[in-house]
Amino acid sequence: MVKHLIKNISLIYLGLMLYSCDPLVNEFNDVENAVMYRAKSIAEAGARDTVKVMTWNIRFGVARLSFFGDGCGDRVILKKSEVYEGLEGLAAKIKLENPDILLLQEVDVQSKKTGYIDQAQWFLDNTDFNYGAYGSMWESQVILADGLGRVNTGNLILSKWELVNAERYQLALRGDQDGLTQYFYLRRNVIKAKVNMPGKPFYAVNTHLTAFATDDTKQKHIDGFKSILDGLLAEGKGFVAGGDLNEIPPNALKLDYCLEDQCESESYHSEGKYEHKEGAYFAPEITWLSPLYKTYRPAISLNEYGTYETKHFTHSPDDKLTLDRKLDYLWTNTKWLEGKTHQEATTLSDHIPVSAKWVVK
Amino acid sequence: MLENGRYNIGLILPFRMGVWGGEISINKFLLIPNISYKYPITRFGKWQRAARYQIVYPTLALRWFQSPLGMKLGEPDKFALISPEFHIPQMLSFYGELIGSTGSNTTGLITVYGGIGIGLGGKKLDSRTSIDLPGFYSRFSIYHNGILVKAGGEYSRRFKERWSYTMDYDMFIMPGGEGRYAFEHMGLLIWTKNNRFRLQFGYKLIAGEYPYGSQAHLLPLIDVQFGW
Repeated sequence: MVKHLIKNISLIYLGLMLYSCDPLVNEFNDVENAVMYRAKSIAEAGARDTVKVMTWNIRFGVARLSFFGDGCGDRVILKKSEVYEGLEGLAAKIKLENPDILLLQEVDVQSKKTGYIDQAQWFLDNTDFNYGAYGSMWESQVILADGLGRVNTGNLILSKWELVNAERYQLALRGDQDGLTQYFYLRRNVIKAKVNMPGKPFYAVNTHLTAFATDDTKQKHIDGFKSILDGLLAEGKGFVAGGDLNEIPPNALKLDYCLEDQCESESYHSEGKYEHKEGAYFAPEITWLSPLYKTYRPAISLNEYGTYETKHFTHSPDDKLTLDRKLDYLWTNTKWLEGKTHQEATTLSDHIPVSAKWVVK
Repeated sequence: MLENGRYNIGLILPFRMGVWGGEISINKFLLIPNISYKYPITRFGKWQRAARYQIVYPTLALRWFQSPLGMKLGEPDKFALISPEFHIPQMLSFYGELIGSTGSNTTGLITVYGGIGIGLGGKKLDSRTSIDLPGFYSRFSIYHNGILVKAGGEYSRRFKERWSYTMDYDMFIMPGGEGRYAFEHMGLLIWTKNNRFRLQFGYKLIAGEYPYGSQAHLLPLIDVQFGW
């Protein structure tokens, strides 16, 4: 191979642990600018009276493939061809629905697990959107576990109109992890951007809250998300907001998904075992979304959800195609029309999109 | 090149010994068996020439990188640099280079070299097993690409009785790889107490192309060497 293989590798590895030009992990400031994107070709859009908004956790474009990190899968590094196939499926659905504002979660930007594709740019170049604002929730040169390697995944706002003043707001880190795990773990955030629709600017807000915290971190995240909406409300600004809140509505009938989510090697609620699986037991937090419902208008009202609950489920883990819970939401401080849960898209991700038309004031 | 019968080892650097008019270097980390032999050949003007050959067996190390702590996927498999979902085949690499040196430690010693390596057994190695980190990517690329071309130079000089420095430059050309090149520059300040103990510290600047694009890293270096 080369001169002094081990000499150099050992020296470099030691050095890498100590220092490099860029930090090993991006820890982010409390508030910082979002990363801005624009499509290769821009097709300027005019003002509208209603704006179609959609939110979708796209599972970094791997559809229902067996990924280890969010369920019971056994794969870590997906083939580039598999990821492109997943992205093509998402793009086809997006073009069909033709939203004006799209709030995406779990978008990978040059992550090893998804073939280093810049999915933010890919969506701009393969759909009808012109502008994007991205905020990473997990950015590290290397994740020293499971062979994950380089990671950059986060939230993306796509818009047909120009996005300006886009900011990334840091949410609380998980409080139930040791320091080392926390350092390398996800840093959830909220992205807020001003949408420069001609003559009628408004704001778009996107978030993806913690899924697996076992303490009050999720409560803090919901509060953090709401405080940003409250700020816009106080300023008299109109907004469309949404994302994957990893929380079920206050009137959900089923609160315990431990058995549905358990992997083959796991056992919950068997005789003598009453431990709950992380992210699968919602009883202690069932009222946490109530303040959002009380203050803002959801695309799917609590009444609608309570009457047709199963029709508004937005998620099922792994390759289970039967959706079994609602985690994804759209909110505004004004009014929605035609709120829709797109259960026909269940093969394209482990979440399905929610859309609605926002009435511009 | 070490004198006959002389031995040298660092905390990090390999074990070296002067033998048969040349120098054998053996990696002391058992997971990556690696041996090289360097020996002088004819002079060319003011240049003393040497040749070096090296054999490396990387399979054990790459498999170890899949689970350094013996954990399984998702436990989490801490410190794993390669996903355990992949099979690491039996592989071997051979590397040969020509080296030319002129000058001396006191007036300034210039060394230049160039070589080529071939990797065997890597056809069944999945490209997704690459370790896309500085120093790792370029050195293991030979198993993914089957070939590696390397060239570089070094300048070292003693400027005080116990102090010397080394400036080193390496260039890796990786034909057929997603990352095609890497450049490494190293600056080391060396304090030699006597012929039994040496301390060296400095930096390494690595700029290269990886499967995700180009990036540069500046890394600190430190090592302690013992000789006898």
